[in-house]
Amino acid sequence: MAQSSTLEMENSPSMERTEHVDGITPRRRRVQPLPYLLLVPATAALVLMLGYPIVRLLTLSLQEFGLKQQFGAAADWVGLRNFREILHDPEFWAVLRRTIAFCAVNVVLTISLGMAVALLLQRLGKGMRLMTMIGLMLAWSMPALTSTVIWQWIFDTQYGIANWVLGRQGQSWLSNPLTFYFVATIIVVWMGIPFVAFTLYAGLTQIPEERMEAAAIDGAGAWQRFRDIVVPALKPILLILTSLSVLWDFRVFTQVYVLQRAGGITRDTNVLGVYAYRISIGANQFDKGAAVAIVMVGITLLVTVFYLRSMTRQEEL
Amino acid sequence: MTAVLEPSGLESSTLEPIVPRPRRRRRNLVPNLLGILVFVVATFPVYWMVLTSFRRGIDIQQPTPQFLPNPGTLANYRKVFRREFFWTAVKNSFTVTLIVLVLALFIAFLAAVAVSRFRFRGRRAFVVAILLVQMVPAEALIISLFRILDGWRLINTIAGLSLTYLAFVLPFTIWTLRGFVANVPKELEDASMVDGSSRLRAFMTITLPLVAPGLVATGIFAFIQAWNEFIFALVIMNRPEKQTLPVWLQAFNEGARGTDWGGVMAGSTLMAIPVVIFFLLVQKRVAGGLTAGAVKG
Amino acid sequence: MRIIRVAAGLAALTMAMAACGDDSKSSSATNAPAPAATTAAPAATDAAATPTTVADTTPAPIVGGTGEGGELRLWLNGGDTPDDFVKFAIGEFNKTHPDVKVTFERQQWTGIVEKLTTALSSSDSPDIIELGNTQAQAFEAAGALEDLTAQKAALGGDDLLQSLVEAGTYNGKFYGVPYYAGARVVLYRKDLFEKSGIAIPTTIDELMAAATKLKADNASTPNFSGMYLPGKNWFAALPFIWVNGGDIAVQDGGSWKGVLDSDQAVQGLTEYQKFVEQTSGAPKDGDDSKDYLAFCNGEVGMMPAPGWKPGQIINKDDGCPAMEANIGAFAMPGLTTGTTSPAFLGGSNLAVSAKSKNPELANELLKILVSKDYQKQFADQGTVPALKSLLGDITGSDAATAQAKAAQNSRFVPSSENWAAVEASNILPDMLVAISGGADVKTEAAKADAAIEQILNG
Repeated sequence: MAQSSTLEMENSPSMERTEHVDGITPRRRRVQPLPYLLLVPATAALVLMLGYPIVRLLTLSLQEFGLKQQFGAAADWVGLRNFREILHDPEFWAVLRRTIAFCAVNVVLTISLGMAVALLLQRLGKGMRLMTMIGLMLAWSMPALTSTVIWQWIFDTQYGIANWVLGRQGQSWLSNPLTFYFVATIIVVWMGIPFVAFTLYAGLTQIPEERMEAAAIDGAGAWQRFRDIVVPALKPILLILTSLSVLWDFRVFTQVYVLQRAGGITRDTNVLGVYAYRISIGANQFDKGAAVAIVMVGITLLVTVFYLRSMTRQEEL
Repeated sequence: MTAVLEPSGLESSTLEPIVPRPRRRRRNLVPNLLGILVFVVATFPVYWMVLTSFRRGIDIQQPTPQFLPNPGTLANYRKVFRREFFWTAVKNSFTVTLIVLVLALFIAFLAAVAVSRFRFRGRRAFVVAILLVQMVPAEALIISLFRILDGWRLINTIAGLSLTYLAFVLPFTIWTLRGFVANVPKELEDASMVDGSSRLRAFMTITLPLVAPGLVATGIFAFIQAWNEFIFALVIMNRPEKQTLPVWLQAFNEGARGTDWGGVMAGSTLMAIPVVIFFLLVQKRVAGGLTAGAVKG
Repeated sequence: MRIIRVAAGLAALTMAMAACGDDSKSSSATNAPAPAATTAAPAATDAAATPTTVADTTPAPIVGGTGEGGELRLWLNGGDTPDDFVKFAIGEFNKTHPDVKVTFERQQWTGIVEKLTTALSSSDSPDIIELGNTQAQAFEAAGALEDLTAQKAALGGDDLLQSLVEAGTYNGKFYGVPYYAGARVVLYRKDLFEKSGIAIPTTIDELMAAATKLKADNASTPNFSGMYLPGKNWFAALPFIWVNGGDIAVQDGGSWKGVLDSDQAVQGLTEYQKFVEQTSGAPKDGDDSKDYLAFCNGEVGMMPAPGWKPGQIINKDDGCPAMEANIGAFAMPGLTTGTTSPAFLGGSNLAVSAKSKNPELANELLKILVSKDYQKQFADQGTVPALKSLLGDITGSDAATAQAKAAQNSRFVPSSENWAAVEASNILPDMLVAISGGADVKTEAAKADAAIEQILNG
């Protein structure tokens, strides 16, 4: 596969020379200011706004920090005690297992259904496509809180449409953790598909029609065209979307929190995002909450590391 | 990105504009039905929200659902418009959202270009950092972030809230735009430069339009994030005249006697309108891929 | 495409115009910045004179005073304090301090902990805040509040409601002044009682009999509850625990011990379980947020509720005003005739921020907010005031008198700075949802005990 060397295109006259990519024959090495300049605004914004909070998160996780310390009491350093307490708590592991499973299901559903919808959008006529896009747009624009409330109404034990349609009066969807997560998954996936579909559709439009038709003429079936042309072409976008979905679905908060308020047993339905919130804001244990947040980062890192590695290997990083 | 470059016998490397082929209409029944299905599934909750907004409170939760507001009422909307600070909240929301939208797209685009078109020391670190930052749950940072803003006297200011949203929206936006920019092969610019235009001009006329769909998708995302965000707005804008719409709307959830669902849904419906309008304005660009300067070769 | 764009734009424009028309009517002095519109007391009364065309929960900042003598920010939560009360208080305050600008900003209970945690520690802190009595201890312990021990006598001293004073005291120091309270009572359908020939129960056994009969007589109504008990409503289970001599947790030496699995508490919880299984048609894992809807839909014979619930049932927005004549209330009876079960006393405390720039002025305003004149307003509207001497004055409805009776035998949750965390983890609702679903009482209670101990003992 023609790769990174095409990125360099050393022959263009107006570009600064860079190092040869394999580092064997370094050419004239003039550091270009341009990329750094382009990065200045982004780096500035991120460091200014997130730098201190993230550093603070790290320090909080190593201190004893409750509401008292928030209001001025001295904070003692306790080393890894917060982490130890969290990791020795069986409830944490239960929550973690649940969160991983929940995340996996949601990511798979969101990406595959999103891809399906994107392909559908491509096949539709202009008018139908616009209408469908508007529909997806309406779904996308609902705030998480409102859509969770509406979906909860739909699955309400006594007044919900779902029970009315299925003819099961009084079926409680939230009291059983499995059906609780069924409802939560519906909400999360429903909310996540529009963005994935739009982005993939945008990517699809970047694939030249000629290639598809050429392949069709060559005798490739629809599935083969999909597998051999569409997927590779969309690979960078797909990987990005998948990684984003993993990050987001791992941290789901609002949907589960609001559903818990409406029904079910909290202890059996917590996911990591809600668990961290209940510890930090709910119980004013900012130190343990910070430790949970850091553990979440660590786990997410583990999950995405293989993706990062493959990107690095393909010189896409 | 690289697969698009695979040579294939039938492709030419000229830059003639493509003549759009007419679509075949015969086989559109199944896709159309599916399209309707998707539309229904996507919009049912929205329909329910709008329906509720036209209902009297007493009718909202009943054992047998009703699909039309009968009797309907405009009282909920009147309540929303009349309630104090509605228009200040609208103004605040619009200001913050538009600032975030413009700045985020601009800054992220620059960064995306830097990261996908150039090689330089620290590039990989930057990309990994962008990814790492997104792994941190935002709720964990509320209190620290408040502290910084308080130190800079930016609490209860548009600038403070905008900066906050910007910081949260940037990583994702850069991450996604990177893919879109990378997807447009440099050869196109180079080919155009062979004809004599400068790199910058080639960039503006060739690459930028091709990245437009990515800009639109991430732009909509940034818009929605800023428009609907609640908890940071609640904490950073704690004076009523500075509230944004989501925070303002929360008051309906806690009226003197419990939740005013009609008001909540009316407010939510109104809040959805600017988002949809924004989408309608930019939606043409979601599929702007095949303009002059074909992606070939 | 173009048509759609134009249509969307027109729609937005029309709505905007329609809205603008209405809005200008109500934008009045209440919205104008203080200096331009006010001269001392008249400003507050002007604002009071403006007809409020909206429901009584507008979050308008009510402002009084000129500001040359300083500024005070007053934060009150939810919808429990009507605007009129605040205007009265600010008016009174401005009589003696016309040059102090008082701004009232109504807060929502949702997210109040985050808001207070950040705002109270910021450089622009509000001066007076309202704390729910379950949150008060945590903030007191944290040093976020001004020490009011010296002012206690002037603020009401021994006349203040005892259990709220406890919530407002930490380590012997007084931080949170009782503001108002609400005792839980039992609401009932007068007409259904008449139809079934039931008299107001005077013991728990009679209560059970009444609930059973109601359910039997109304079996044709789907989801009917003789006693409406949704699973998460842990407040409803507390009287059962308490009346049998049990409690949630007690202090033993220096640490807390959960006693939900004691014989007394288990007896109470088992009795509660019987009520749920035999007489309740409420969702076993639901909370009490929809109970007024169920009441309006005719699905409820009796239900435990806070004193303000009738107001919610008959509210014009989504309630059933026509039901008003049929709503009755009584204090939950005890084990023997003539007694009541201990009632849960909810309520709020007011406090001054430790970072307030004008603590003395804040204190003056505080005195007004707990004064007899001000608190009488609460009694008149059926809310339990913070002053014992006014308990007899609670009028207005069945619910008010029932509350007054219930308040005399009232209890509260364990007074610990970590209690808020117990509530945030939903330990008690979880336990009751399980019990409502038929689980073994002692097992669930023991589980809850362990969880509570872990949190209370830090």
